[in-house]
Amino acid sequence: MIEVKNVTKKFGRKNVLQGVSFTANKGEITCLIGVNGVGKTTILNGIVNLTPMTSGEILIDGEKLTKETYEKIAFIPDAITMLPRMRVREAMQFMQDFYDSWNNERAEELLRFFKLKKEDRISSLSKGNVAKANLLLGLALDVDYLLMDEPFSGIDIFSREQIADVFTSHLVEERGVIITTHEINDIEHLIDKVVLLDDGIVFKEFATEEMREVEGKSVVDVMREVYRG
Amino acid sequence: MNNFLKLVNFELGRFIKVYFILAGITVASQLIGMALIANDYLEMFNEEVYTNGTSIELFVEYYGEISLLNLQYSQWFNLPITFAVAVLIIYSFFIWYRDWLGKNTFIYRLLMLPTARINIYLAKASAIFLMVLGLVALQVVLLNVESSMLKWMVPANLRADLGIMESIGGLHSGGSMLAVIIPTSFIQFLIHYGVGFMVVFILFTAILFERSYRFKGIAYGVGYAIVAFVVFFAPFVVEIIFGRNYLFPTELFILEGILWIVVTGSSIWVSNYLLNKKVTV
Repeated sequence: MIEVKNVTKKFGRKNVLQGVSFTANKGEITCLIGVNGVGKTTILNGIVNLTPMTSGEILIDGEKLTKETYEKIAFIPDAITMLPRMRVREAMQFMQDFYDSWNNERAEELLRFFKLKKEDRISSLSKGNVAKANLLLGLALDVDYLLMDEPFSGIDIFSREQIADVFTSHLVEERGVIITTHEINDIEHLIDKVVLLDDGIVFKEFATEEMREVEGKSVVDVMREVYRG
Repeated sequence: MNNFLKLVNFELGRFIKVYFILAGITVASQLIGMALIANDYLEMFNEEVYTNGTSIELFVEYYGEISLLNLQYSQWFNLPITFAVAVLIIYSFFIWYRDWLGKNTFIYRLLMLPTARINIYLAKASAIFLMVLGLVALQVVLLNVESSMLKWMVPANLRADLGIMESIGGLHSGGSMLAVIIPTSFIQFLIHYGVGFMVVFILFTAILFERSYRFKGIAYGVGYAIVAFVVFFAPFVVEIIFGRNYLFPTELFILEGILWIVVTGSSIWVSNYLLNKKVTV
């Protein structure tokens, strides 16, 4: 379980996060939803210690993050984090060199699934293919938790569908996933839990299934209430 | 192979093309320079001796024998070294900032490697050190090659064959760059490169201050660098201010050794703290 406890973050005088708390469980897909600039990316950066939080605590399986934690949690940012001049093959090799949790079989499987070519340079890939290569590098790690920042933003419909397919496959099953998005439509049917953020706080946290069954509302219905009402 | 060595290898690989170009420019410039200088000398010799009828003895007395020193005082020799030094100094900044620049910010990956973050710092520093020492080694080899070239091009009675150490040693009074990059004594070597590498550590720490606190970090970084230099050079400053030598040279050397450890050690320690607690992507 990933526990975010009362986390605050200031950038200069601006309070981006003002006491955010939520949990994300293994085997579930948790979606952080909020308009642009609400601090979704900052939360993910905070979980993997890429940006220090001003206060609060973040625990992964009850422990603070250490260097070993990077073998069980993978963060897939919204841009690929490999050198543009690298070939897909070299990027995979880099990951294999440094991560014990790198699963080469799975990487090859993803390569086929996404129809990526090993010899292509990252700088020469289309936007959709960069997003897929980025996803490949994160998903091929045998980790318990995956954090994905806007995996659907700015890519074509077919790539979106392919990426959405990944979520229902064994590639994601069993793992705990935190995903951020500001466009919910593509993945509404995939997510187990929603954390609605607004003004630097958690506005509402709910299980999608329960919301549908008990109140008869979809995620979009709840969002409409929260953001428009 | 452990992660630190992998990172060093990776950092070297990222700059190796530019580095080979630097080495190539140095080799080309020095060898062409040697050939041209020897050629000019021989032309002058032919003109004086064969056209003007000057005796060989008088020519040598007037113009002197040609030696490696003729090359070492020329711009063929000094310009590429200056250029390489300048590029490596600039790269000492860029080796960090390149990871934050552009769309594909590689620093995300580096910071999320399952290894102590200080290894990134140490690997970058080691890459710089290895590249510096590599160029120094190249220079030693080049001096030997140039010495052979001279023997091949110029008759023995017109040249002074200096050993490598002699040619370097002979320059101390002259202030050529060679005396700085290849000191003749091991202690001098330790001092030059010890201070040089300490400066790289201080610079890296200042960069991390900037990367951690951004605008305010520039002031912290500059402040840190000033404090580090003041601490390291304090014994000299004290002696200059009071106009007396309080310490014997050996004592001063030992004290500076200790201060080197203090300043370098604290740079690494502070950097480790910044990388783990403060740095931001």
